[in-house]
Amino acid sequence: MKTVVALARSGWLVALLLAGWEALTRFHALDPLFFPAPSLLLVTLGRLIASGEAGRQVMRTLERTAAGFGLGVAAGAVVSALLSVSATVRRAFEPLIAALYATPRLTLLPMVMLLFGVNDLARVLLVGLGTALLMMIQISDAVRAIDRNYVDMAVNYGAGRAMVIRKVYLPACLPQIFTALRLAFSRALVMTISVELLSSQDGLGSMIWSAWQTFAIEKLYVSIALAGALGLLSQRLFEELERRVVPWKDQST
Amino acid sequence: MGGGGCGRRLAAGLGRGGGKAAYAVYNQSISIVPDTILSCSGLGFVYPDHGHSVRALKDVSFEVRRGEFVAVIGPSGCGKTTLLHVLAGLLRPTEGSAELFGKAPGQALSTALVFQENSLFPWMRVVENAAFGLEMQKMGRAERERRAAGMLERYGLAGRERAYPRQLSAGMKQRVAVIRAFLSGAPVLLMDEPFGALDRQTRLWAQQELMELWGAERKTVVFVTHDVDEALVLSDRIVALGPAPGTVAAEFDVPLERPRGPLLEPDAEVFELKRRIFACLDLPTGSSRYSYAP
Repeated sequence: MKTVVALARSGWLVALLLAGWEALTRFHALDPLFFPAPSLLLVTLGRLIASGEAGRQVMRTLERTAAGFGLGVAAGAVVSALLSVSATVRRAFEPLIAALYATPRLTLLPMVMLLFGVNDLARVLLVGLGTALLMMIQISDAVRAIDRNYVDMAVNYGAGRAMVIRKVYLPACLPQIFTALRLAFSRALVMTISVELLSSQDGLGSMIWSAWQTFAIEKLYVSIALAGALGLLSQRLFEELERRVVPWKDQST
Repeated sequence: MGGGGCGRRLAAGLGRGGGKAAYAVYNQSISIVPDTILSCSGLGFVYPDHGHSVRALKDVSFEVRRGEFVAVIGPSGCGKTTLLHVLAGLLRPTEGSAELFGKAPGQALSTALVFQENSLFPWMRVVENAAFGLEMQKMGRAERERRAAGMLERYGLAGRERAYPRQLSAGMKQRVAVIRAFLSGAPVLLMDEPFGALDRQTRLWAQQELMELWGAERKTVVFVTHDVDEALVLSDRIVALGPAPGTVAAEFDVPLERPRGPLLEPDAEVFELKRRIFACLDLPTGSSRYSYAP
């Protein structure tokens, strides 16, 4: 019952738009060649799911996203830890990180392929780079924003360095780490699909591109909707995870 | 009840009969000789700040005896907080010295801090916050949380053990911070305007609760405040710092009977003491030509 209410609360606008769209195509106010009716798209989706294509393409995209995201989070965590420990390292790395972060990552695709070949390694590395940069920037901001009082308090009660990190730095940064993870995953997804669009034989991006090339308009709509749904779902998952891991945070804001 | 040194000072001070008896009992039961456990001599502190350094403390000298409640008072920006950080061992004096039990401050478990705000860790539940000092002493979870829960219950926080700090009022948060300091076992409590951010009613209650805790637990307290009334209600002795850079302008004994109510019924002695403190702090002591008096 609760889920039904929640769905109604956040889904009424989407339902209204779809109904309007359906009606407009039924009365030929919209050209069904460019705007196929939602009911037709639903049938196409069913067909793509039944044939296993939708599942396969979504899985390929998710694999690449997860690999890049995982790699990026690990690299980001290691580098942020180094940056937090030493001011010398931080001063040396910061301009590099800022410059890379400000560069549109997709423009690096040819260079990455030049270095690693036209393969999944190159694609995943490019996805991971974005994640790592975002994590580094967010975590080092979080570390610097920690209230000195908390550190002083822990030290005064006898906490050593390791204990201060475990009891103060990590939990104090956790809310921002989660925000960074959520943002990084959605960007990793966007990046993966963009890379697939340009250079891949499979995945949602390639599915979208080939649908366009073959003028399979219904398939085009369905694959874009799948990408959107994937993004929405992953955001909700991260939000739920955050609620569980960071229970002290005021979730109302 | 008061600290070790006060009984002795009382005879020379503005003593009152009732207080004398109470102090005498304490002196006999705890220590015969009032011993100094904390001392500053010629203490100075300069914040290095890329070229133009800022001096916060200059030639600060005073002593605190075992079990004494000392209020450090002074105008804002006079270095009270810096002084407390030095006593906690978080800052090293740039001149002179501070000694706690004959050593440099900062030894594990010698002091417990309470700040004005953000004293509690937002990510720990109330009971975990209260037990933090014990946790740092490697006490097992069950035992430390049992002790913390007992203390929380005694001081009006029953049922709030599992809450997070954001779910508590400001007064409750400070109460938990004070309880944590008392529970930690540290013999010296350093409080930096712990009730400074509370509204007036809450602050009066907090002061009375602190007195109750202190009466039961017998700790040495250095209590920084800018509120003269608060210092008079709580302390055995007041160390007044002058304006920046802070240096000790004067010390005042507060020979008032305990327990003290929040009102400090006005009599000539209290008034005179207050007048002297106000004068020392350069606060207005009479109606001035700017007053609205008819």
